Amino acid sequence: MSDTRRQKREGRWLAVGLYGYLALVMFVPLVVIALWAFYDPAVGWYPPDIVPTSYSVEPWREVLADRGIIGSLVLSLIISTTVTFLTGALAFPTAWALAHFPFRIKRAVEVFVLAPMIVPGIVVAVSLGEIFFRLGLTQTVLGVILVQTVGTLPLMIRILTATLEGIPGELMLAARTLGASPRRALMRIALPMAWPGFLAGGLLSFISSFEDFEKTFMVGAPGVQPLSVRLWSYLGGEILIFPTAAVVTFILLAPTLIIFFIAERLMKENVLAAGMGKL
Amino acid sequence: MAGLSIRGLTKAFDQVRALDGVDLEVPDGQLVTLLGPSGCGKTTLLRSVAGITDPTEGGIWLGDRRIDGVPPERRNFGMVFQSYALFPHMSVFKNLAFGLEMRRLPRSEIRKRVAQALHLVDMEAMAGRLPRQLSGGQQQRVALARAIVIEPDVLLFDEPLSNLDAKLRDSLRDQLRALQRRLGVTSIYVTHDQVEAMALADEIVIMFSGEIVERGDPVSLYRRPIFRFTAEFLGRTNVIEARLDGDRCRLPWGDERSVENPGIDDPAGVAIRPEDIAISTANGSDPHGEIAERMFLGAGTNYVVDAGGVRVRVNVAGTQNDLIDIGTPVRLTPPKSLHLLRRGRHGSAEALA
Ligand SMILES: Nc1ncnc2c1ncn2[C@@H]1O[C@H](COP(=O)(O)OP(=O)(O)O)[C@@H](O)[C@H]1O
Ligand SMILES: [Mg+2]
Repeated sequence: MSDTRRQKREGRWLAVGLYGYLALVMFVPLVVIALWAFYDPAVGWYPPDIVPTSYSVEPWREVLADRGIIGSLVLSLIISTTVTFLTGALAFPTAWALAHFPFRIKRAVEVFVLAPMIVPGIVVAVSLGEIFFRLGLTQTVLGVILVQTVGTLPLMIRILTATLEGIPGELMLAARTLGASPRRALMRIALPMAWPGFLAGGLLSFISSFEDFEKTFMVGAPGVQPLSVRLWSYLGGEILIFPTAAVVTFILLAPTLIIFFIAERLMKENVLAAGMGKL
Repeated sequence: MAGLSIRGLTKAFDQVRALDGVDLEVPDGQLVTLLGPSGCGKTTLLRSVAGITDPTEGGIWLGDRRIDGVPPERRNFGMVFQSYALFPHMSVFKNLAFGLEMRRLPRSEIRKRVAQALHLVDMEAMAGRLPRQLSGGQQQRVALARAIVIEPDVLLFDEPLSNLDAKLRDSLRDQLRALQRRLGVTSIYVTHDQVEAMALADEIVIMFSGEIVERGDPVSLYRRPIFRFTAEFLGRTNVIEARLDGDRCRLPWGDERSVENPGIDDPAGVAIRPEDIAISTANGSDPHGEIAERMFLGAGTNYVVDAGGVRVRVNVAGTQNDLIDIGTPVRLTPPKSLHLLRRGRHGSAEALA
């Protein structure tokens, strides 16, 4: 009894801590960005003013005046959705194999699989850009999708491997004794049970694809310009135009926020459904 | 349906031989329990029969059809796992329907058979629940229903009741036995609980360290085991080193008894079950020993008696007897004729039971 109460209390402190951290790393920067995005360039914003003395939508008007931006947004959504599904499809078999390798081999293979995560994106972009050029994939949507997938795969594999490792092996064996071939057991048991992994990995893949600049720019530009590439051009080349940068950040952040909102709802519903049955 | 034959089954893992030349016959429609301490290879044997572990050597037959090498999905064996292994993302109904869907039965047929199976285990009301919304006993019954709904040729149970508390275990055990009798499915039931083994089995097979020690129906195996290991693992027993003289033996506290199986190789001692010894206070006559320990259990009282330098366990049934105090001199009355045990290479099971 008192144990569960203590757990509850600890849970509350954990929640406070996590939300505090979230506020610090997401909310504070957002406020600063918001202030910059809406300040009035005609009046300016100088110390010691903590907030601007006057507001306007001038920076927004400037960015959104570009007609091509809607097209870029649509292109971005298409590319990111495709990348997300492609990543999931490619990562699942790899993760499944990885989850069932003997421990030693697994660690070794994992290092290879995860290597692209530690190499800076620009290095990957430059070397792959060269290869893609030879393959005639530069300035094609397919090329952009492929190069982004290279970037999103490692994390997806990592997350899915962890999820699949958590599935008790006996479930697959039980499915086999009930008449399922290895493939059907995989599709009916492991795949649906890996759903939280797909969700988490998919969200991160979508966001990283949506925001990717280096790889997309190297392979796609100037022919293929999804939102991230187009928006970067507003940043001002050599010097940073702060208000425009703030608007760009806002636009790039939007899908992230929307997706996290959806994800939270999905997870909550799931947890709620489980919790209600327990009563 | 048909009986199951296992011949020379061996399974070597990297470090251990989990099974070492196991021969086993399960006659058609009978239930055989595999009883042995943890790690003796029971699960490995069961999984080999199910087809989810590949034996290193040996063969398995169902009737006259050889089935080792047949993948598990084509064996049509139902298995109940120790962890139940219910699919957590599927409702009870879906869990049961799974095996039937794999057999591509029409929907109406699936619905009918799932309902029947749920009825058998008294779980109709729970069809829509997810496994995590069920109690342990309910999950166990769903696991059982899922194994029988496919109308298996063989049922395999891997310690299905070991995660439940004692009361529930007893009642489920009886239900399970009744169900197995009714369906008449050839079954292997693995357990390390001797009471469960005795209550369920047509035949008990005692295992130790990847090998079969001995087998028999519960009554003869309990009363006249060959090996010391069996006597000690199947219930508790006193193994008393007695001086042998032809078909007589002399017990450490001076009494003489006849031996019903004299002349066996390598005797370890005579077996006297604690419940077969009568105990009485000496009351002035020559005592055999004195009470060293007493444990009142409600349904009976267990004593340990120090007699002629050995410790003898004595269980007195019933609640109406006068309790005897520790230190009291007592006389012991074992049965008229005693059974000799062989030492065997399994040694004593005292530490394991
Ligand atoms: N997959 C495995 N790899 C290596 N050793 C195993 C494996 N499965 C079982 N063993 C070993 O085989 C022996 C028998 O195990 P098991 O059949 O599970 O015993 P039981 O079910 O009687 O407790 C044990 O020593 C165990 O450690
Ligand atoms: Mg086991």
